[in-house]
Amino acid sequence: MTGMQPVLALDDVRVVRGDVVVLDGITAQIEPGRCTALAGPSGAGKSTLLRLLDRLEEPTSGTVLLRGRPLPSYDVLEVRRRVGLVQQAPVLLGVTVLADLRTGRPSLDEAEARELLGRAGLGDQSLDRATASLSGGEAQRLCLARALAVGPEVLLLDEPTSALDAVAAMSVERVVRALVADGLTAVLVSHDLRQARRLADDVVVLRAGRIEEAGPAESSQYLAGAS
Amino acid sequence: MSAGSLSPSVPSWYGVAASVVLVGIAFFVVLREHLGLGREVLVAAARAAVQLVAVGALLLVLFRHTGLPGALAWVTAMVVLAGRVAGGRAKGLPHATRVATIGIGAGAAATLGLLIVARVIDTSGRVVVPVGGMVVTGAMQGASLTLQRMRDEAASGRRAVEARLALGLASGAAFAPHLRTALRTALIPAIDGTKVVGLISLPGATVGLLLAGVNPLTAIRYQVVVMYMLLGAAAVAGVVAGRLGVRTLFDDAHRLRT
Repeated sequence: MTGMQPVLALDDVRVVRGDVVVLDGITAQIEPGRCTALAGPSGAGKSTLLRLLDRLEEPTSGTVLLRGRPLPSYDVLEVRRRVGLVQQAPVLLGVTVLADLRTGRPSLDEAEARELLGRAGLGDQSLDRATASLSGGEAQRLCLARALAVGPEVLLLDEPTSALDAVAAMSVERVVRALVADGLTAVLVSHDLRQARRLADDVVVLRAGRIEEAGPAESSQYLAGAS
Repeated sequence: MSAGSLSPSVPSWYGVAASVVLVGIAFFVVLREHLGLGREVLVAAARAAVQLVAVGALLLVLFRHTGLPGALAWVTAMVVLAGRVAGGRAKGLPHATRVATIGIGAGAAATLGLLIVARVIDTSGRVVVPVGGMVVTGAMQGASLTLQRMRDEAASGRRAVEARLALGLASGAAFAPHLRTALRTALIPAIDGTKVVGLISLPGATVGLLLAGVNPLTAIRYQVVVMYMLLGAAAVAGVVAGRLGVRTLFDDAHRLRT
């Protein structure tokens, strides 16, 4: 805890889908300028929690707060611009790199686009390159750059390397680490404990929809279990 | 059927009875080939006869006694029926039947309304009902194909749609490329039909007029109007159903419902 106002907070959040309690009694904070990992076994509710933060899902009860205000009090499109999301497997939305970067911000000029590519470790790529010819790691980093183009305060990363090979995964990790070092707030869902340990400052461990452990990553018993 | 204005090329009741032999041939073929469709052939043939006789009798009453309001009521009933058919084809899409019915209604109203107001067609039931039937069929195809393809796009393009939503795009913008694909697919049959008309297909309206002994250059005038109205009805129905469909696909917080 840094004492600053958290960027995002969950207050006694519960999610029920049909008869299944997906999340129960979740209270947690996402501190600014840090990378928070959501860890835990699969089916624990990590991805659902992440989607709540972007209002892609709605809690059954409880409140999600952005800078101290409940999410529904904002225009939902504003929430999504302030809270970016990178999905598990890269989804490309433009025919060229530049078109893809402009999806969320059509006014993006070429100089800004090059700067974003640089931050995503794609500084050597041409803006007219066809996105269909990008490798998996390049495509995922382009998705990162595209999310950054909108200017989010927080970036949600939903298992961003699970669809990539080891080398590509490392290239994405390097970019995430550099972005957090530059002051970006990140929330990372990962079931790879070693990755969580490498990237996270804080960790929230979920099990069967409840928080098992929350706090700094270095003192996490759950992450310490990673060999 | 009263003779008089119609030409002798319309079969007599005796001719209709003689054509039952053709049903017998179809029945014989499916039995001999063990297709297991014998019952269906007989049921389909009997249904066609009963339906058409009933429709003929109803139309007779309609044409003689009700004028334009009766004809429009008939067309409205066709819109409702077509909406159920098109909605059934797009099962899985929220409120598919309602969306399809409104789309088809809009396509039919715009096209038929224009033809009536501009006095392109006569307002008698004898004209409005068959022309309305063609318009509703064209609109139904446009709406049905649009909604089917939208449903498939919403499923197969789910990750792309969510990626756009996550960038802060509104639902309409997030689905726009998929709606374009759906509309393009839906309008191709109407456009292709318009392209080849006369060369490959000689549509019902022209055939009817030619059989009734009308001069070919006069007969095709009707056909030109028919093709244009089919194109217009499909386009309006597709766009209206598509736009409305997008609104039912997403909730107020710009999330896919399905």
